[in-house]
Amino acid sequence: MDKKVAIAGFRMAAAPDLETTRERLVFDLSKGLLDDLGIDRDAVDNFVLCSNDFMDGRTISHVFLGPPAGGYMKDQTKVEMDGLNAMIYATMGIISGQYDVTMVLAMSLTGSQASPYLYTDYSLDPTYDRQLKLLNELSAAALEAKSYLAANGYSEELLDVVASQNLGNAAANPGQARRIDGVSREKVKASPYYYEPLRELHCYPPTDGGCAMILVSERKAKELTDKPVWVLGMGRSTDTYFLGDRDLSTSLSAAQAAERAYAMAGIKDPRGEVALAEIMSLFAHQEPLLAESMGLLEKGKAAAAYESGETAVSGKMPLNPSGGPLGGHPLCASGLIRAAEAARQLRGEGGDNQVKKDGVALVHGQDGVCAQQSAVVILGT
Amino acid sequence: MEEIKDTFLHPAVPLDFQNNYRVGAYMQRYLDGFKEKKILGAKCSQCGRVVVPPRKYCGDCNLVMEEFVELPQEGTLENFTVGHVVLEKGQLNRAEAPYVIGMVKLDGASNALLARLQVAPADARTGMKVKAVWQDQVEGEYSDLDCFEPA
Repeated sequence: MDKKVAIAGFRMAAAPDLETTRERLVFDLSKGLLDDLGIDRDAVDNFVLCSNDFMDGRTISHVFLGPPAGGYMKDQTKVEMDGLNAMIYATMGIISGQYDVTMVLAMSLTGSQASPYLYTDYSLDPTYDRQLKLLNELSAAALEAKSYLAANGYSEELLDVVASQNLGNAAANPGQARRIDGVSREKVKASPYYYEPLRELHCYPPTDGGCAMILVSERKAKELTDKPVWVLGMGRSTDTYFLGDRDLSTSLSAAQAAERAYAMAGIKDPRGEVALAEIMSLFAHQEPLLAESMGLLEKGKAAAAYESGETAVSGKMPLNPSGGPLGGHPLCASGLIRAAEAARQLRGEGGDNQVKKDGVALVHGQDGVCAQQSAVVILGT
Repeated sequence: MEEIKDTFLHPAVPLDFQNNYRVGAYMQRYLDGFKEKKILGAKCSQCGRVVVPPRKYCGDCNLVMEEFVELPQEGTLENFTVGHVVLEKGQLNRAEAPYVIGMVKLDGASNALLARLQVAPADARTGMKVKAVWQDQVEGEYSDLDCFEPA
């Protein structure tokens, strides 16, 4: 990248029910972050908001969010996808030279005020899938899980291993929404099936939440932070909608998005150069599936990698040290939270889940059924 | 200064409009085929892919798929899941009994069709041969093609 862009700061919130309003959540995140950095809204020249019209029950959902975000009479736009896309657009605005300081703010109240499953239900093909009523977010994910396990010869137990590792990390992360102490593989396996092979604890919990992040140019980074985390690479890709056209045992969108981000960041050996990854895996099988697709785990060897501890916080390739979306998945904010969690790690603020390795962090975000769209960002210090 | 306490007003905010969708000629042809218990797909003249239900545009070739082809009533169960829940209007409830949803690749098709499977969950196997089951009365509606069962 010709121009360098850094994360100067971030704030996150997540809970099953934040007992708040949309406006207050936005105000608390934005104002809190401005206070953290010791600046006021005058210092911010661009606002990229991220919310969902349908889940918010109003078109142009950000019309009321500008003032509480601090964006009154500023350049203010909205991304209606996962928040990692909002971060990419914000970065582009700074690279263009037009802006120096940009607030990215993604949020939804899909824990307390609207079911998150509706988001996918109403994204389905109205002339076919919604008529047949067979496909939904959970049945689609189950078909993907089954295909992935079968293609690689993995047993269903892999899902229990992945989920217990993620829920264990989430329990040690005060910012997560679902924090259950001592989630053993047995406890995961004892949770009821939704659609086989997926059980309740293999799936993300409905979550309220949001994330605010301030991105800055290199010049402003020196003023605003002692611990800049740099955006080194970005990539995106979108697959076909139709599940019956896809090979569900892998993710072409994640593979291609990662390839583009690696090329931009100059990464030739992901397994050697990536120190940790925050992956938007909404269901247990998606973490190894996406990690394999992005070249972070060897194809077909994910089960062994989890068993040997390779993917744990202390392992060679820590995956979702934050606990990932199995610990909390506020729609729209989920991918941006992954980026903030990765930045927290790179700043050495990971607390009990701190990864003690040098290298870059990979962040993955997704949108659509079974990661139809993937976004990847590479961060480094 | 008076402290403003946190209370929430909960007005009903329904999203209840109806969208008068146009299904277009391809889905219409597919449903018209049901009146004769036929399953139609669309074929791309460039890459030769056959997709079912028929779609007008080939993503790979960026071309209009101009040819309709009739597919056989039999195929292979490529993938399936056993549902233990039903999801209705965002609410998750336990199903009365486990049921099977599968992806069926009809012989000669390039993609798989999502369908209900009339088979006991314990008997469902990836790779098994299945065939279409029609309603006795077919009227050119989605529900005419009832499900698939072991061939």
